[in-house]
Amino acid sequence: MKSFLERRAPFIMVTPTLLILLIIAVVPLVYVVGLSFTGSTLAQPFNEFVWFKNFRDAFHDEVFGKAIVNTLVFAFSVTTIETLLGFVLALAFRGEQRLGGIVRTLALIPLFTPPVAIAMIWRLIYDPNSGLINHYFQQWGIFKNSVAFLGQPYLAMPSIMLADIWQWTPFTFLLSLAALQALPKAPFEAANVDGASRWQIFRRLTLPLVSPMLIVIFMFRFLIALKVFDLVFILTYGGPGSATNVASFYIYRIGFTQFKTGYAAALSILVLLLISVVTTIMTLGRDVILKRLN
Amino acid sequence: MHKKLFAIGLLTLFVLLLAACAPGAAEPETIEIEVTRIVEGEPEVEMIEVTVQAEPGIYQGEEINFLTIQPHAVASKAVATWFEEETGARVNVLVVPYANVTEKAVLDVTSGAGEYDVIEYWYPMLGSLVENGVLTDITDWWDEKGTELEFDDFLPTYRDLFTEIDGSRYGVPYDGDLHLLWYNTSILDEYGLEPPETWDDYLTVCQTITEGGGGEVYGCGIMGAKVPLILIGTFINRLGSYGGALFDAEGNPTVNSPEAVLALEALVEESEYALPEPSAVAFDELLGGWLTGKVGMTEFWTDLGQMTDNPEQSTITGEWGVAPMPQGTGPGAQTVAPINAGFGVGVSTSAQNPEVADAFLEFVVRPDIVVRANTIVGGLDPTRVSTLDDPDYRAHVSDSVADAIKAAHANAVAWPTNAQWPELQEILNENLSLALIGEKTPQQALDDTQADWEAILGEAS
Repeated sequence: MKSFLERRAPFIMVTPTLLILLIIAVVPLVYVVGLSFTGSTLAQPFNEFVWFKNFRDAFHDEVFGKAIVNTLVFAFSVTTIETLLGFVLALAFRGEQRLGGIVRTLALIPLFTPPVAIAMIWRLIYDPNSGLINHYFQQWGIFKNSVAFLGQPYLAMPSIMLADIWQWTPFTFLLSLAALQALPKAPFEAANVDGASRWQIFRRLTLPLVSPMLIVIFMFRFLIALKVFDLVFILTYGGPGSATNVASFYIYRIGFTQFKTGYAAALSILVLLLISVVTTIMTLGRDVILKRLN
Repeated sequence: MHKKLFAIGLLTLFVLLLAACAPGAAEPETIEIEVTRIVEGEPEVEMIEVTVQAEPGIYQGEEINFLTIQPHAVASKAVATWFEEETGARVNVLVVPYANVTEKAVLDVTSGAGEYDVIEYWYPMLGSLVENGVLTDITDWWDEKGTELEFDDFLPTYRDLFTEIDGSRYGVPYDGDLHLLWYNTSILDEYGLEPPETWDDYLTVCQTITEGGGGEVYGCGIMGAKVPLILIGTFINRLGSYGGALFDAEGNPTVNSPEAVLALEALVEESEYALPEPSAVAFDELLGGWLTGKVGMTEFWTDLGQMTDNPEQSTITGEWGVAPMPQGTGPGAQTVAPINAGFGVGVSTSAQNPEVADAFLEFVVRPDIVVRANTIVGGLDPTRVSTLDDPDYRAHVSDSVADAIKAAHANAVAWPTNAQWPELQEILNENLSLALIGEKTPQQALDDTQADWEAILGEAS
């Protein structure tokens, strides 16, 4: 017969962890939800209960709507490109010993570099007057006049995407490489013995085996991309116009330049709900894809 | 006996040695301190000579924190050093980007952190800072010290604008900033052009140079990046000169008046010929083009001449001239000097050491300290009438710049300072940016702004 303490031991042992989780995750969430129903400002939190007014305002806020669209376009575009590019690079360097080691080390540099520093580097690269791209492209005769990458509405978002792809492709590359190196050897040896072509091996073995991991990488990266802030803050401040205004940056401006923390909290809740919906759809999509591949 | 004498001698020698090793307590010592300023994203190191006071000051051992903005880092560090030299109190200068100074100040007070004793603030944010309870009411101090510190000597355009909300005082003027029209004399001479007196002339000059420049030289540089201080400043440069204003005398928005639409149309038209691309040009990008001789004219703050004459960062030293801002056209046309930027300093309501903070405030507005701070390359511009006539200041910036600033103050145009301004400026900024890139017509952009402003102000009242 176990004593009471012995029976309850597992619960007692996880209690501190649960409490910490409660404090660092649940309490702020409850605080933000509470804030979203008030007309709070930075200096006067919970000053006035406004029910759903902030949420109603959000649905009529055109700038916020545009910011959500921009966020989704940005996240989906960069995640797709980075996942594909990272996988292709991983395939290319999978068998390389010495060169692969060097590339893996180099790939860590953008990951180690602070995002603000990366944004500043790209701001200098894009500068229409003294930037690297304009300098060489004009020298080589590709551009007749200098191009303001961050000043044209149709170029600003792709320019931010390019900087993001440079920063994050190493992440997908390293994870894809790890996934490829972890594949079992036996099926590949059998396929070689059976005389399968390289394309057949890739199509019938590599891709199905590595797909679950690629989908996880895609989802991870997508969730991170939805939170893009640094690049927008440093490179364009959301402009020109609303061309690069993304959700996190817009919420920051509402909360910290207009001090409307109640409204900013409501926008945050809406973004959280959106991310939850997108994640659920992606999880369902992953199951369908995996079923088909299997 | 010999042993005793030997011991006394040894002790005397030891004491003398110790005295020799001690810092020169009686003599003031001149030392050089290294201050760094960020120019075009690059740190620029400057050495400043300061005299360290040997006598302990009245605040010896005390310490305060001073929140300042990056463009004023050099001047603020110098002023802090002079204060320490005189009073013994250490001033820790905490530098933040100018776009973030308001949020830092508000967060410091509302979170209860209480890190800052003295806060530098951008004057249009004054109403918001007061409403958020960030700045201490110093009306009594102001009244008490007004005569001694010659507050009547402050430029009238700054004195109340930078310090007063609803009849109470919350700070003192620290940096006077307005825009003048700067031109590159070599470029204008090459094309046989005169500095423009109207915005129509400005467009002609800009277009002529840009079309002749073949992508190497542009007639004008226009700061149109989507940052309120930058883009709204550029718009206000034109708005006032066409006779428009953001609000009427009763405080009702008039941002879509015919004069305002004319002003924005002019800005959009000029942008076509400006250094590419105005919507991506802020402080750094503009300086990059100007200092390398790619820009014929630009609207900029009053310290551009000093930056241009610094051979370490400029290829056009001495090749500049300065003029009042151009006039608009129409019945309300006038020459104006928009107060774009401009900063005050006040004491935080959560100051840990309010006594020393008050003393620091008193120190930074002293006429001799103002002149001293305005005659180093540190980012501060005059706030006092007397500074503009001071021989040291005139030698520092040139007579032409000092005279242009004096003349400009006759027609200075201010930004609003009401508590709603942070929200209102975001809406204007957004719409101006959309007009600049052609996603809205000037009329549409200003109509939308007007509608939103009326809704916000109606709700607030």
